[in-house]
Amino acid sequence: MSTKGARALEDELGGRPPDGLKALSDSDLRAFAGVLHEARKRQSAALESAVEQSLEIVPRMVRGPVRKVLFG
Amino acid sequence: MPGSQLNVDVEILKLARVVDCEASDLGYLRHVDPQEIRDLREQVTVLMFDADRQMLQRVASSAKLIPTKLAALVGERAFGPLLCARLTGLLEPSRAVDVAARLPTPFLADLAVLLDTRRASRAIAEIPPKQIGEITKVLAENEEFIAMGGFVGHLSEAALRAAIAVVSDETLLRTAYVIENKSNLGALVATLPRTRLESIIATANESNLWIEALDVLRHVSEAQRGELGDIAAGQADEVLNGMVRAAQRELLWEDVLPVTRAMSDDSRARFAALKSIHTRPVLASIVDAASRHALWPELLQLLPLLPAAARRRVAALGTGFGRPVLAQIVGAAHERGLWGPLMQFATELEKRTQVLIAKLLAAVDDDVLDGLLDATWEERLEPELAQLCSLLAGTELRKFAGRLVKRGGDEFVAALRASAKEQDLVAVSKVLASA
Repeated sequence: MSTKGARALEDELGGRPPDGLKALSDSDLRAFAGVLHEARKRQSAALESAVEQSLEIVPRMVRGPVRKVLFG
Repeated sequence: MPGSQLNVDVEILKLARVVDCEASDLGYLRHVDPQEIRDLREQVTVLMFDADRQMLQRVASSAKLIPTKLAALVGERAFGPLLCARLTGLLEPSRAVDVAARLPTPFLADLAVLLDTRRASRAIAEIPPKQIGEITKVLAENEEFIAMGGFVGHLSEAALRAAIAVVSDETLLRTAYVIENKSNLGALVATLPRTRLESIIATANESNLWIEALDVLRHVSEAQRGELGDIAAGQADEVLNGMVRAAQRELLWEDVLPVTRAMSDDSRARFAALKSIHTRPVLASIVDAASRHALWPELLQLLPLLPAAARRRVAALGTGFGRPVLAQIVGAAHERGLWGPLMQFATELEKRTQVLIAKLLAAVDDDVLDGLLDATWEERLEPELAQLCSLLAGTELRKFAGRLVKRGGDEFVAALRASAKEQDLVAVSKVLASA
């Protein structure tokens, strides 16, 4: 796999995808690389926002120790 | 085939859930082999966990600092089902179970759909059966067959029973079809009482779910396949005819023939007596499946049980068999001790094919010939063997007669000669006398 789409997918996956994906067109490979990229971005953003929100939910007295575990 | 296309759709849906998108967004994967999509999902799952591993791990550690009730509240209000699903495998299993006990069932059902069951296996195994039953009920209402299928193999036996108890036969069949690991189907079937299995087979027919039911039969043990085959054979004609129609429509004879192999003699006779399998198109599909999937022993077992007219139809279909196919059939008869059905069938074929079989028998190795001679003696197949011998000529006949005399012994040859005489097969009788 040497097309741009194939390289984009390899970069996202951090390794070679299964051989069967060779059958996909360059635009399909790029599309899937994009889906992966967006999924990772969304997950990271959701996690960040959930952590912030959780600190508002936990009582003040444990907020400090929790923050310390979360952010060092 | 509809089965493999559905597997592709299932794999795409599973992958879509990992990357949090609609299955329709990944439509371009429909021409990729399902196993390759599964491999890709595995790669992507690792990626999604690794992407935020450090932070997820810290969240899991911080959850230890707060009371269970509060952890459940934070999970539900702040993290939501997807992040909680990612976190489940990182928590201590007992802690995950305690938190789950305080979460509402609909939330847990949403989380279950997104859970990587292998990473959360220990926690899943510790969830009480009652709660598993409650979650399963919601999943079944939402038709989350794939999610339910992912849990089989991770649940305790009691939890599996609790889950099975709250779902319909139709849900069970649809779930079994998309189960993540087909090798778990045996354990699933083993937990079902006979009455439930009977009801499931009736449902397969009523709800047109024979593809799903036959897929289960393909993946269970031979003993279970036989038991389920016997249960099916015990149903009304209407049910069995439904299975025949589905097998014919969806080309599933490669799944049905092994079931006839595993079932009892009585059940096989009942199956063979079904008028719906005696038609030429159905018999042609059965012969085709036997040929494509090396299921000759299964066909040979059925042949003597078919009425004469149906056997003649099979014989007519056999007219086109070439030497390699006939050699496979002879090999199957030897390996499975099915010389009786083969010899009877051979005499019903047209002459050209009979000659081919006779030549094959004349050329078999000594151990195969010994098997044929033993079966001929025990099952009184001398008339059929004499008939086939009569189709050989000259040196070939003399050589074969010599082998029959050498390996069969006097008593056997006398019986074969007597049979040849009775049928006026003079050449065979003479050559046996002089061999």
